[in-house]
Amino acid sequence: MRQLGSVHTDLPVGEVPFTDTELKRMAGVADSEPMPRTSLLGIIAAREALLQAGLNEEMVNEKMVNGLAFISGTTVGGMDLTEQHWHDYADGKATENIRLHEAGESTNAIVRHLGISNQQSAVSFIATPSTACSSALNAIMLGANMLRTGKTKAALVGGAESLSMFHLNGFNTLMILDHVPCRPFDAERHGLNLGEGAGYLFIEPEEQAIARGATILGYIGGYANTCDAYHQTASSDNGEGALLAMSGALRMAGLQPADIDYVNAHGTATPNNDLSESAALRRLFGDNLPAVSSTKAFTGHTTSASGGLEAAICVLAMQHGLVPANLNWSSTAEGLITPVTHTQHKPLRHILCNAFGFGGNESSLVISSTGTDLSEAPMIQLPNEQINVQMVNDEMVNSFVSSAESRRMTPQMRRVVAAARRAMEESGVAIPDAIVCATQWGCMLQSMRFLQDMIDSGEQQLKPTPFMQSTHNTIASLIAILTGNHGYNATYSQGKQSLDCALVDIRTQMSIGLIHTAMVIEFDEQVDAWDAVLQQIGDRTEDIARVHIYTNNRKI
Amino acid sequence: MEKLIEQLKAQIIEALNFEDMTPADIDTDAPLFGEGLGLDSIDALELIMLMDREYGIKLSDPKAGKAVFQSVRTMAEYIQANRTK
Repeated sequence: MRQLGSVHTDLPVGEVPFTDTELKRMAGVADSEPMPRTSLLGIIAAREALLQAGLNEEMVNEKMVNGLAFISGTTVGGMDLTEQHWHDYADGKATENIRLHEAGESTNAIVRHLGISNQQSAVSFIATPSTACSSALNAIMLGANMLRTGKTKAALVGGAESLSMFHLNGFNTLMILDHVPCRPFDAERHGLNLGEGAGYLFIEPEEQAIARGATILGYIGGYANTCDAYHQTASSDNGEGALLAMSGALRMAGLQPADIDYVNAHGTATPNNDLSESAALRRLFGDNLPAVSSTKAFTGHTTSASGGLEAAICVLAMQHGLVPANLNWSSTAEGLITPVTHTQHKPLRHILCNAFGFGGNESSLVISSTGTDLSEAPMIQLPNEQINVQMVNDEMVNSFVSSAESRRMTPQMRRVVAAARRAMEESGVAIPDAIVCATQWGCMLQSMRFLQDMIDSGEQQLKPTPFMQSTHNTIASLIAILTGNHGYNATYSQGKQSLDCALVDIRTQMSIGLIHTAMVIEFDEQVDAWDAVLQQIGDRTEDIARVHIYTNNRKI
Repeated sequence: MEKLIEQLKAQIIEALNFEDMTPADIDTDAPLFGEGLGLDSIDALELIMLMDREYGIKLSDPKAGKAVFQSVRTMAEYIQANRTK
């Protein structure tokens, strides 16, 4: 640990070996411009991706008539700046830069530095999926859905995440960080190592790529996002959500399990993940397990960026015809799959890439070496119905949420869960096909509790519960867990545009026929500690708990 | 010992946010996990933190907690034998 200013220097981390100042030079960002490390990593990776896709500025500005969609997952956002400057903020020295705390603002900062002068019109859509460690794969899925429905003609999709003291301490309270390099799928594995990075894919319709003479590196074969609906931080023993995600991705791709040549596993090396993922892999593949490896021993767990990095690793694996090794493996134990421990050379036609997150947000992506026509599905017209519920009455909250269920919830979490249940009751949609949450600041009360405790205590004796509930995807996954909903589950944090992002997501999915019903949740919390900072720039947080049910009139 | 058990029950209620409960509601010998209070893996981590914070006991392996956290009584006995504050 050389860059991160944590006291826990005994924990190995997969750091990008440059200071923020060095990264700013590489990203073309002025020294004086405050910039989250997440954004710096994102700028460098995103510019590389555009360059490799053979896109110059003129092409982005003119040829992509519908504009470029930039969809970048993150959860940390600008947390690194907030933890470094917390004492300044307490001293009344907050400036507009505090807005960079927001996940969506850290993405906007990447767009400002993409090297596209006319970015206001060239980049027509920006979204920040924030489903913890599956964020980047969900970004890829939204981009693919937008291409399939003609909402955009090109998308740069993936994720960026820097290390932060916040989530290093958070994972430490969960006691799932190994003190030596991580050992995915090994009997003696003892947890993960955190990493940082950014990874993006540039995706466009095949005919456009051919027309502009681009080199096609691979195809998106299929994908699925499901919810394990089991526990906020633990995966189910039988890997139900992971199985549903992998089998859903295969189904969309029109493939059988035997068609998969390689699985890039989530494989974090926590005792729980690897056992649960092994169970899911066995249920899907039976005795015919393809080559499986986790590449996290190379990179560390880059959390929200991991799906982007690992999708890029899969494309490289396909290009070079090699299966990357699962490092640090030496022995198996009951229930665990045996990964590939040495680099294998063989042609790879179809690769499955997994990314699983807190709350059971499970995503799988199929990357193929040959084209799959995903746009065949008939487009469904959308004069959809909408039911809105706003919960304000605390007495009603108690009739929808029991005290046993709510013991860990903040008051605003209770209100939104109650609103969700009431919306299901009123609409008759008990199990919506999708649950999508839109939130500007995320679960700010628990985030601020954990941040303040971390700073006040000097990173000692922190409680796990506030960290567990600090991620933006807490609300959507909590509702899925409480209602046993294994369907699509996503969260967007894009400032005041968060709801628009959620609606683009569900509408594109409804047009393709991937979903027929959806619950869209608007959530934010009024938090005194953050208001004390925001007030210095004339802003404040507010309580929002609105739930909308959308249907396309076909299923009900 | 009885005093420690009572104190521990109050600390558990606070740490795990059992707002509607009093120490009298917790059976000293009932299992904490599974049936009893129905605690989960995060509660186990909160209990490990509680033992560190209040009694100076460090459990570095969550699995080691299983034997300790069988009931309030087993927890109290472990604290009695291992406390450093």
